[in-house]
Amino acid sequence: MSDAIALPRRRVRGRFRKVLPAYALIAPAIVSSIVFLYIPIAFSGYWSFTKYNGLASPKWVGLQNYTDLLSDPRFLKALLNTVIFVILGMGIGPVLGLMSALLLNQAVRGRGFFRTAYFLPVMTSLVVVATIWKVLLNQHGIVNELLGVVGIPAHNWLGDPSTALVSVTVTSIWQGFGFETVVFLAALQSIPSDLYDAALVDGATAWQRFRYVTLPALRPTIAFVFIIGIIGSFQVYDQIFVMTSGGPLNSTRTVVFDLVDRFDSLKYGEASAVAYVLLVILATLSFIQMRLFEERA
Amino acid sequence: MSRTRPVTIAVLAVFALIAAACTSSSEPSASDTSGSQEPVTITVWDYYGKATPFQDSVIKGFEDKYPWITVDHQGIGWDAAQQKFAVTVSAGNPPDVATMDMTWLPTFASNGLFADLTELSGGQLNGAPIEDSYTQGALEAMTYGGSYVTMMFDFDVYALYYRADLFEQKGIDVPTTWEEMQAAAAKLVEGDKYKFEVVPNDCFHWCQFLFQGGGSLLNPDNTEAAFDSEGGLAALDYQRSFLDDGTGVLWGTEEGDSMAGIKDGRIGMFQDGPYWMGLLKDGAPEMKGDWAVATAPYSTQPGSYLGGTGLSIPVNAAHPQEAWLFTQYMLELPQQIGVYEYAGAAPATTQALNSPELNKPDPYFGGQAPFAVFLDAMSTATHFPYVSSWSDIDTEIGTMVESVMLGKSEPQPALDGTAATVNDLLASG
Repeated sequence: MSDAIALPRRRVRGRFRKVLPAYALIAPAIVSSIVFLYIPIAFSGYWSFTKYNGLASPKWVGLQNYTDLLSDPRFLKALLNTVIFVILGMGIGPVLGLMSALLLNQAVRGRGFFRTAYFLPVMTSLVVVATIWKVLLNQHGIVNELLGVVGIPAHNWLGDPSTALVSVTVTSIWQGFGFETVVFLAALQSIPSDLYDAALVDGATAWQRFRYVTLPALRPTIAFVFIIGIIGSFQVYDQIFVMTSGGPLNSTRTVVFDLVDRFDSLKYGEASAVAYVLLVILATLSFIQMRLFEERA
Repeated sequence: MSRTRPVTIAVLAVFALIAAACTSSSEPSASDTSGSQEPVTITVWDYYGKATPFQDSVIKGFEDKYPWITVDHQGIGWDAAQQKFAVTVSAGNPPDVATMDMTWLPTFASNGLFADLTELSGGQLNGAPIEDSYTQGALEAMTYGGSYVTMMFDFDVYALYYRADLFEQKGIDVPTTWEEMQAAAAKLVEGDKYKFEVVPNDCFHWCQFLFQGGGSLLNPDNTEAAFDSEGGLAALDYQRSFLDDGTGVLWGTEEGDSMAGIKDGRIGMFQDGPYWMGLLKDGAPEMKGDWAVATAPYSTQPGSYLGGTGLSIPVNAAHPQEAWLFTQYMLELPQQIGVYEYAGAAPATTQALNSPELNKPDPYFGGQAPFAVFLDAMSTATHFPYVSSWSDIDTEIGTMVESVMLGKSEPQPALDGTAATVNDLLASG
């Protein structure tokens, strides 16, 4: 009887000894994640239900921060701007990325050069890219100079509320689509050539080969690009901060810019509520996307 | 698309706040060591950056004078200083002395973050009554709830910077009224590119026009908006007139640093604070002799916002007595002159403002003594209202001005709508 009990104990102890080094190795990462990420997230969740400025004690206000946000025109404008940015960016960026990847997947001369050229803006600091484009799009910048050559009058791209958001989005697409290009190119090169051979034997046209071979094979990559892209796009901040500071007239104010602005104004309760609204949006979108791609796969 | 995570910074700040929330900070932990002269280290925060008046030699001068005190001088970026101050005071580990933007005072003072300098000083600054050490405007700006919460270190009021060389070439008289200013701007740009800089999106620039037109921001009790008045309308009309007739250049955030426009000549006139004297000398040394400073033209009375930098001691500073010694030292005449010498800004004490060192002819400004202009402007300047919702009100007014300057709103409806919002903000505290 005593042996029967002792055996599992020994087994457990033995297994524990086996996994102990593994736990020890991951402990620093786990502890730092808990301390620097999960605890702040939990506190932030609590603060989102309080009026808190970091000075006086947090005062419980229930859902007031959330209801206030939904009636705050500045936040709603930020949300709308972010949605436009995401739709434009994710509508154009991945398509450009896929197109350039398809071109680079051909046996073109200097493929390595083009691949590097497309990827170079991705490696460049976003602040640097935004600063350069801010100069280019200036009323007296090169973009207006070039447009002037073909008779188009100069325009204050970043100073006009009707064009500022589009201008920032174009900058972001230019900076980011090289990432999609490289990811799609890697995926394209991993599609077995015998699939295309079989399609050719069946008499498939170039479009049919793309539609029925390439696209299905790229589905996991497309899902990856969209999930990562949408999460990143919803968090757009750097280029807004550098190029327009959310202006003019809040026309480029985004959700994260709004969050940081509230944080800077010592409105930690409201800023936390914005963070949680963003979290819910991103979690919902990611869930929908994953289900969508899982079902089709 | 961007995959950068600026939120990381926010997460770290949240973590700092949690540390703050978990630390008891209700009781001041001041220890009076002024009599004991035991070795003490005080922490001093300074947001001036490279061109700081808190030079190593200046700090050493203090340590030589008070050998038992060591100064831990820490440079803090202006952008981060406000948040960091709030976090460290609530966490109970604040600096002993901190440079303080005067526009941050309402929020901090209303939360009781500052030591009462009236009590700490006994009403004396370097052996003279504090009342005699500053102008009336500065004294008002330093006071919250009947006590001094900061000692003004440098001040900011607006005056007119103009291209004296072009004025001479084109035979333009220095304007003193709004009408003269509009005429001068028209003559300056005639056949040329030189324009008056119109800053569309901040309260500082617009408020000067509001005050110059006889208006005020809030009523005397600070309970209702007062800018939706004839003065407010005149200020918006006046500012927009430079854009309507092409004599002004709109300089929004997207244009970047206005130094670019100053250097390439697009900006021939602008209205700003004394720190621009230092910026011009640093940023456009080749324009030596081209610029001059004059009192900002006005409609009914001279006016400007009054701001600047104060030196404050947190309510729970570890060494308030030593901090006060340091504050006094920095407000002595040589250190005050250093504000001009090192930072190119305007020192705040009347002793410094009237000193011959600051009022000697400045070759950069063609032999003019520009400080007299700012000193004059200071006597008629008004600080922003000390209400806890000021930062929101400031944003609302900035948006209103931008909307009118960009032609998206008409002045009167913009004033009415913004006044209603500001009244709501004031009512909700």
